[in-house]
Amino acid sequence: MTSANTMNSSSSRRQKTPLEHILRVALYICLLGMAAVYLMPFLVMFLTSLKDVEEIRSGTLLSLPGSLNFDAWGKAWGGACTGSSCNGIAPYFMNSFQIVIPAVLISTIIGALNGYVISMWKFKGSDIFFGALLIGCFIPFQVILLPMARTLGWLGIANTTTGLVFVHVVYGVAFTTLFFRNFYQGIPSDLIKAARLDGAGFFTIFRRIILPISTPIIVVTIIWQFTQIWNDFLFGVAFSGFDTQPVTVALNNLVNTSFGGKEYNVDMAAAILAALPTLLVYVLAGKYFVRGLTAGAVKG
Amino acid sequence: MTIKASSLESKATPAAQAKSFSLADFIPKLVMAPTIVVTIICMYGYMIWTAVLSMTNSRMLPSYDFVGLRQYERLFENDRWIVALTNLGIFGALFILICLFLGVMLAIFLDQKIRNEGAIRTIYLYPMAISFIVTGTAWKWLLNPTNGLEKMMVDWGFESFTFDWLVNPDKVVYCLVIAAVWQASGFVMALFLAGLRGVDGDLIKAANLDGANIFTTYRRIILPSLKPVFFSAVVILSHIAIKSFDLVAALTNGGPGYSSDLPANFMYAHTFTRSQIGLGSASAMVMLGCVLAILIPYLYSELRGERHD
Amino acid sequence: MANLIIEQVKKRYGSTEVLKGIDISIKAGEFLILVGPSGCGKSTLMNAIAGLDDVSEGRIMIADRDVTYADPKDRDIAMVFQSYALYPNMTVEENISFGLEMRKVPKEERDVEVKRVSEMLQIDHLLSRKPAHLSGGQRQRVAMGRALARRPQLYLFDEPLSNLDAKLRVEMRTEIKKLHQKLGTTIVYVTHDQIEAMTLADRIAVMKDGEVQQLGSPQEIYDNPANLFVAGFMGSPAMNFIPATVVSTDNGIMLELATKTPTLLPFPKKEALNAYLGKEILLGLRPEMITEPQHHKEGLEFVVKSQVNVEVTEPMGADTMVITRINDSEINCRCHPAYPAAPGSDIELMFDTSKAVAFDKNSGERIDA
Repeated sequence: MTSANTMNSSSSRRQKTPLEHILRVALYICLLGMAAVYLMPFLVMFLTSLKDVEEIRSGTLLSLPGSLNFDAWGKAWGGACTGSSCNGIAPYFMNSFQIVIPAVLISTIIGALNGYVISMWKFKGSDIFFGALLIGCFIPFQVILLPMARTLGWLGIANTTTGLVFVHVVYGVAFTTLFFRNFYQGIPSDLIKAARLDGAGFFTIFRRIILPISTPIIVVTIIWQFTQIWNDFLFGVAFSGFDTQPVTVALNNLVNTSFGGKEYNVDMAAAILAALPTLLVYVLAGKYFVRGLTAGAVKG
Repeated sequence: MTIKASSLESKATPAAQAKSFSLADFIPKLVMAPTIVVTIICMYGYMIWTAVLSMTNSRMLPSYDFVGLRQYERLFENDRWIVALTNLGIFGALFILICLFLGVMLAIFLDQKIRNEGAIRTIYLYPMAISFIVTGTAWKWLLNPTNGLEKMMVDWGFESFTFDWLVNPDKVVYCLVIAAVWQASGFVMALFLAGLRGVDGDLIKAANLDGANIFTTYRRIILPSLKPVFFSAVVILSHIAIKSFDLVAALTNGGPGYSSDLPANFMYAHTFTRSQIGLGSASAMVMLGCVLAILIPYLYSELRGERHD
Repeated sequence: MANLIIEQVKKRYGSTEVLKGIDISIKAGEFLILVGPSGCGKSTLMNAIAGLDDVSEGRIMIADRDVTYADPKDRDIAMVFQSYALYPNMTVEENISFGLEMRKVPKEERDVEVKRVSEMLQIDHLLSRKPAHLSGGQRQRVAMGRALARRPQLYLFDEPLSNLDAKLRVEMRTEIKKLHQKLGTTIVYVTHDQIEAMTLADRIAVMKDGEVQQLGSPQEIYDNPANLFVAGFMGSPAMNFIPATVVSTDNGIMLELATKTPTLLPFPKKEALNAYLGKEILLGLRPEMITEPQHHKEGLEFVVKSQVNVEVTEPMGADTMVITRINDSEINCRCHPAYPAAPGSDIELMFDTSKAVAFDKNSGERIDA
């Protein structure tokens, strides 16, 4: 708020000049116009999902559907063909949850412990290791794709949900550690010293003092990891089997393998369904989502 | 006095215990150990493994017949790779520039005590919560020439309006730019808005007292102080660009032909579907090189900055 | 309560030595204050006593027990931190009883302790509050309460008052002094505030560059500083260091000041100055020893009057500091507010050297110790 407030504080007290009025109106038009542009694709998706094939052919992107027709949604959920099977995206939706929930929880817990050690129980080499881990946030996953595929094969978890959870944890820990480390960096070291003198050990301090004040960063981390893993496509397409595909992979198959006439309404319904969980999280906890984005970015 | 007695006496030996092996010292290391091991193996080990594979003639399965830099030579003789790399150049440059421009502009506009700022911000940023696959699917529909934007404009009376970029090999890469900008520009806005809100208010007051108007204040005082945000944004955007894989897969699937391939798609196709592991690995290493070329100067300046704090 | 013995403690970080062989020993119930400028090693020493930092060499004993390598929790020490370090997620009550809980003291005993301590510190009405809802002074009391509840052998205070405003600081200072007198606890207290040091300590250890410069009672340190550093560090305004030449006169050895008309000052320990005959030394004289002429001091052995030129005056209410210059050194003199001392004018001042000390100009060490 600071910059805007201080800058306008002087001007708001005196009368606005006509030029300032015009500028102000132009500003709002510009902002709202851009908002329309950002909203348009989603609106089109939604409208299309409610139309039948004939309406799609005859109308335009923004023409309204004749009636509220949720057939396409039903088909996308339970009957559309994705590759070889025709059960809609529902099973893959469940797959995504089975991958996301354990992967998010495990990577968050490990990240919290790592961040705790790196910021409060430094040992020789812990900073260097943190630097090495940080680079892991940035490497293009293409360089680890093939070796990881071989490893999953050896471990006997190729094409399984477990395998995907493992991969997401391994490459998610860099981010979760970064988040927690940056948060814990702001906690005074005196707090740990006091607790040690009070007789608390490593895990007691973590459980009784650190965790209870970590709620904000836990929320940020969980949301970040949830979004990342839910939206993942690369690992999903590289490491999943036919029946363990996450929803992103299934959606892509559905869109690219509709035989005969393209059912755009079904495609759009499926796309909205696939986006729904992360959108919901964003709408409900947008503040934390943004905090994660900027935290991961600014100190990345 | 009764309180302290019990727990203490047991551990208190009169002779000095050497600071040898106390479990307490080991717990932190023990806790970190799994991450350390996995990072060393699954990040750095695999990187080296891929580097090794890139110097072999591996095809469908990894083999260890070393052929030196032959795969890199093949890579840069490969027309599809050149197309992918060129596309990355065009896509990356436009994507970053447009995102920065839009992001900075929207952030500054939103910083003018806008009514309902929260709602508008939420709208700008929501695409960032969506998977690139969904984005690709949506824009594929919007940009398709038969039923998409083109038809809408024609129906609205712009008879001569044509928009066939999605099926035009020379223009398809711009479709990637449009979709990617739609998704990521709100993120840049959020970064800069956070930066603007963090600018020291006294600085702005001082500028006002010096007689600077609002435009000068932004141009000469505020934006220059956001240099670090600017660098972060460039690094992250270029990182997104280099890793872009899903967007291409969903929006164009590399087509028409391979005219919209990006390196990540080239790598995936050759490694997993075209049985060219050696070549695929070489392309992955080039991608890594690109990331490092951007990352190392950035991290260097970041770490140096941290030391000054 | 327990005694504390620190023997030849050294601490190195890489090649830099931050503690260069510290020897301090205090009796049970004694109040020791560590003072020194920042970076002198006092906080490092504190951490070493607490066990939060390893020492590189030497020995630390509490209650005749070697704790050099013991874990902090096994040393039976409590510490009050500058930042208070209250656990933000716990109520005041939980903060106070946490240490007891960690030592597996049963709930009923803990409740009794919390009650006792909170009543003693008058924070019993705050027990259910979280630290975020307390004022600075209240937090400070809770931090003390947390330390007191455990009844440890040794208390460490790490600049506990430096985050309080001036008025509250004076209040809490008195309170700490009362507590110490009442409980007879052994306390090591770090501060950079030399008034706190003077008022609270049984003994003061003045530190600089990882070494103890002087260890002694507040009065000893004030009256008999071991070197220029200690003399300059303790006392406010600081002791004056006046360049003076050692001369031989009919009345024996005297110190000559380069005032307008040279002033000859007598010195209590003349013998010590023999070696410096004809050379310049630094005369250490507290501001309260240079005053307006006072009738009851007239004619005393070590009292001399002299003319000086006033540069600036700083009225402080009870006194007025008159600042003059002798031999290019700024000199603070404590005068009565009513004594006329206009800047730029020449006035007569009375120098009392009965408690003066002398330092070697080059080494900074005391000459007359």
